[in-house]
Amino acid sequence: MRLGVAHSLERWAASWARRRQGADAHAISLKRRRIYILPTRFGIVFAAMVFAMLLGSLNYGASLGFALTFMLTGLGLVFMHHCHNNLLGTTIKFLGATPVFAGERAEFKIAVGNDAAAARLEIELCYKNHTAGPVDVASGGTETLRLGLPTQRRGWIALERFRVETRYPTRLFRAWTWVHMETRCLVYPRPADAARPLPDSVSGGVTGRPRAGEDDFAGLRAAAAGDPLQRIAWKAYARTDLLLLKEFSSGTAAPCLLDWDLLPDLDTEPRLEQLARWCLDADAAGRSLALRLPGCEIPLGLGPKHLASCLEALALFDNSKAPR
Amino acid sequence: MTFALTTQPAELSLESKRLLWTVAIVVGASLPHWSGLAAWIPALLLLSVAWRLGVAFYGWRAPSRVVRLPLAVGAFLAVLFQHRTLNGVEAGSALLVVMVALKVLESRNQRDQLVLIMLCYFLMFAALLADRGPFTAAYIGLLVWLATVALIQIGRRGEFLPYRATGLFSGRLLLHALPVMVALFVLFPRLPGPLWGIAGSTSSGASGLNDTMSPGDITNLALSDEVAFRVEFEGRPPRASDLYWRGPSLTNFNGRTWSMPQGNRRGSETMASTIEYLGEPTSYRVSLEPTGRNWAFALDMPRRWGGEVRMGSDYQLGAFFFGGPRPRRFDYSVTSHVEYRAREPLTEGEREMFRALPAGSNPRARALAESWLADGPNDTMIVERAMDYLKSQPFAYTLTPPALGAQPVDEFLFETREGFCEHYASALTFLLRAAGLPARVVMGYQGGELNGVGGYYIVRQTDAHAWTEVWLEDEGWKRVDGVAAVAPERVALGFDGLGSGGATVAAAALRAKWTRQIALVWDAVNTRWENWIVGYGPELQRSLLESLGFENLRRAQRSAVLLGLAVVATITLLIGLSAYLAWRHRQRVGVDAAALCFAKFVRRLARFDVAARGPTEGPRAYAERAAAALPHAATRIYAVADLYLRARYEPDVDGSALAELLAAVAAFRGARA
Repeated sequence: MRLGVAHSLERWAASWARRRQGADAHAISLKRRRIYILPTRFGIVFAAMVFAMLLGSLNYGASLGFALTFMLTGLGLVFMHHCHNNLLGTTIKFLGATPVFAGERAEFKIAVGNDAAAARLEIELCYKNHTAGPVDVASGGTETLRLGLPTQRRGWIALERFRVETRYPTRLFRAWTWVHMETRCLVYPRPADAARPLPDSVSGGVTGRPRAGEDDFAGLRAAAAGDPLQRIAWKAYARTDLLLLKEFSSGTAAPCLLDWDLLPDLDTEPRLEQLARWCLDADAAGRSLALRLPGCEIPLGLGPKHLASCLEALALFDNSKAPR
Repeated sequence: MTFALTTQPAELSLESKRLLWTVAIVVGASLPHWSGLAAWIPALLLLSVAWRLGVAFYGWRAPSRVVRLPLAVGAFLAVLFQHRTLNGVEAGSALLVVMVALKVLESRNQRDQLVLIMLCYFLMFAALLADRGPFTAAYIGLLVWLATVALIQIGRRGEFLPYRATGLFSGRLLLHALPVMVALFVLFPRLPGPLWGIAGSTSSGASGLNDTMSPGDITNLALSDEVAFRVEFEGRPPRASDLYWRGPSLTNFNGRTWSMPQGNRRGSETMASTIEYLGEPTSYRVSLEPTGRNWAFALDMPRRWGGEVRMGSDYQLGAFFFGGPRPRRFDYSVTSHVEYRAREPLTEGEREMFRALPAGSNPRARALAESWLADGPNDTMIVERAMDYLKSQPFAYTLTPPALGAQPVDEFLFETREGFCEHYASALTFLLRAAGLPARVVMGYQGGELNGVGGYYIVRQTDAHAWTEVWLEDEGWKRVDGVAAVAPERVALGFDGLGSGGATVAAAALRAKWTRQIALVWDAVNTRWENWIVGYGPELQRSLLESLGFENLRRAQRSAVLLGLAVVATITLLIGLSAYLAWRHRQRVGVDAAALCFAKFVRRLARFDVAARGPTEGPRAYAERAAAALPHAATRIYAVADLYLRARYEPDVDGSALAELLAAVAAFRGARA
C-alpha cells in the first residue's frame, strides 16, 4: 500500500518533470534546473540522528554538543549541494542499441560524458529497477554504460524515460534527472526451436540472383544498399572510387525462399518465430534467403545486413496485415 | 623466515579496506570513553574488533547468533547492573560502546559499516558531553574529518578513490560546512534548563570548601592548586587586601566544629535592603568551577547579581538551578562594593544565636574574653582588644600546625599558637562570642592571582580562607580577620606572599617561574575557550541580541527571534555556497586553463608574424600553418599542439597533460633566441 503511494507519487513527479522539461535531443548536457534531489533512507537516518543530538545538546545545555550537531547539520547540507553539483555538466548521449531476440536483454548504449572541470563520480543510469553503473567520469572524459532491459515481445522497445542519478559523495542524498530521449531497440521475434527443417525447394514467385554463396570468388558487381560490408571490395574502392561487391558462387547451397504461406498451421506469432529460426538457419548454412510476408517482400540476399533486414521485417510485422 | 617472502601480502581487497576504515573510526571514536568506562567494555570492543578482523583476514569462523545473542543480552545487563540506570551520559556511553562492539562483530556489508559510522557520531557526541576541553574538541574535529573520508570511501560501490584527493575533498566539505555550523552555534536558541532530568554524574571530581570547619583536626593543609573560580573585572580591580570572596558562614559551634545553620532567616530582597553601600562599585564576571554545591562566591559585599544567583540570609550568594548543583562551570556577573555597612537588624533571639557557646568548652579562652569586659568597654574596644591579643602574643601562621585536643581554642590560644586561617577565625570568633558580641565564621577565598595574559584573576583552592564577622550595634556585620593581625602579608600579598614560611615544597615547585608562565598562558587559552565556546549559552545570546537592538524581550520572544535569525542565516549561507560552487564551475569551464595557455602560445607566435588562429581553425591546422612559417621550431610547435589536444580533449585525470602543456609553452619563450 505504501509502496503503491510512493510509486504513483513518483509517476506523478516524473510526468510533471516531463511537462516541465520537454523532450530531449539525443545528446544533452545536464543543467541546474533539471536536477532534482532527495535524501535517501540513509540520509533520513542521518537527519534523525542529528535531531537526536540536538535534543541531547538542548537537554544538557552542552555547547560542544551543539557544535558537533551543527557541524553535522552543515555537513549534511554541504553533502546535498555537492551531490546536486555532481550531475552538473554531465552529458548524456544515446549511442544506440543492438537489436536482440525477444527474451534476451536489450542493451541501450549510453555515453556519459563530463564537460565540467572536476571529475563526476558514481553516475548511474536507472530505468525502473534496472541500473547501469555507477561509473566515474574524469573531466573531459566519456564512459559508455549499457542499460540492460529484459525483453519479451518482438517490436520496438524504448526507454521512454530513464534517470541519470548519483549518490556521491556520501549516499545521504540521491540527485537525479529524468531524461526523455528517443531511445529504441529493435527486438526480433524469439526464434522457434529448431524442430522444422529449412524448406529446401525454391517456391515460385520469388526471383533472385542465383546461388550467391561464399565459396568461390565469382566476380565484382556494383554494391547496393543493404549489401554486407565485409564483402565490399575495398582495394578496388581505393583504386577506382567505385563501391564494388565481391560475389562468390556457392557450389552446394541453394537459395532459401521463406514464405509466410509455408506455415499455414501456425498462428501469427509462432509463425514469425519459425520464420526467424529459418532465417538464422539459412544464414548459418551460408544460403542466400528471401522473405515474403503479407505486405512485405525482401528479395534474395546474403550476409548479416540482409539477415538483419529480414529479422527486422519479422520484428515489425504488423499483426493487422496477417490474412485471417 | 623464507616463507614470509613467498607469502607477500597482496593488495588489500575492497572489502578489507572498507572493514579496516570502519574499525579505525570505531576505535578512534570510542577512545575518549575508555578511561571513563569499566575495563571490560573497551576489552569487549577490542575483542570484537580482533575477532572481526580474524574473520576477514585469517578465515576465522564468524560468531553465530547463538554466541551473539547471549553476548548482547549479557553485556546489556552488565551495563545496567553497573550503572543502575541507562539514563545519563556515563551509562549512555557505556551502552553505546557495547552496541558498537556487538555491531562490529556482526557487520557484514557496506550498510552495516555505514550504520557503524553513524553510531560513531553518537560516540563522538557523548565524548563531548563528558569532556569539554579544547583538546577533546580538536580530536573530535579530526574524527569528523576522517569519518567523512570513510563515508565517501565506504559508500562507493567501486574501488576506493585516491586517499590524498579524498582527504582534501573532505577537508573542503568541512570548510564549506563551517559557516553554517558557526551561524547555528551562535544563533540557535539555547535553553536555560534541561528538557528532561539529567542523571547525576557519579564522579563529579568537584573540590572546594567544606560546609564545616574543625580547626585542629587537620595537621597538614593539603594544598590543591586547583582553580576555584576565575574573575574578570570590568574596570580597575580593588586592592589585593580587599579581595575577600565571600562564601558560606558558620554559626553553630559545638566546642570543636563550626557548622552552618539550617534554613534562611530572611529572604534575598530583605537581606539586600539591609546593606548600605559606600565607595565605588566594582563589576566583574565570575566563572565558577564545579563545586558540587550551590554556593556562588562574590566580593564582599555584593550589590547586584544576575540570572540564577540569589542572596542568602548571611549575605552569601547562592546559585539556584533546576534540579540541584550543576556538574560544570557556571558563569555569573556581580557588582560589589568593597566598602559597605551590613546593618542587619538582629532580633534578641538572633543575637543569642550568634553568641551561643557550648557550656564548659574552652574555659581559659572564655576567662580571657571576660577579663576584657572588666572596665565596661564598648563593642569596638572589645574587638580591638581581641586583635591586640593576637598581635601581642607570639602567634605564627603555618600550614602544618600541631593537632589540638579536646579544648581546641584553649590549646591554640595558650599553648601551640600555630595555625592557619581556620584556627584564627575560630579562636577570634570564640573570644568575641565569649565577650558577648554576636559573631560568626565566614568561609571563602582571599586574594587571587592576576593572569597577565588573559587579564583576569585566578582564585585557587590554595586561596581558601576563613575570617570572623562580628555584629556591632552601630555598624552591623563587620569583618575581622585574625590572620591579618598575625600574618598581614597573607592578606596583602595573597597566598604567594607567604614565601617559604608556610608553603609546602610541592606548592613552591608548582610556582617555578617558567612552568608558571606556561600554565598561565594555557589557563588563559582554556578560559577563553570555556567562556566563549563551552560557556556560550542563553546569557551570551541575550547580550548578543541586545547588542543587535533586540532589547527587553521575554524568553520566548528571544528564542523566536534567534530561531528566525538562525534560519535566515543558514539559508543565506546555503545560497552563498551554491553560488560559490556555480561560480567555480563556470570559471573552470569557461576559462579552461588549457585553452588559456594555448591562447598565450598563439599570441606569442603572433610576434613571429604567424597570423592568429581563425575561429574555425583547429589547433592542428594552426600548428601546421605555424610550423610552415617557422620551420626551425616546427617540432616544438607540433608538440605544444599535441599537448593542448591531450589536455583539453582527453581525460586528464591527474592534470599531467596540462602541466606538460604549461611547461612546454613556458619553455617556448625561452627558446626564442
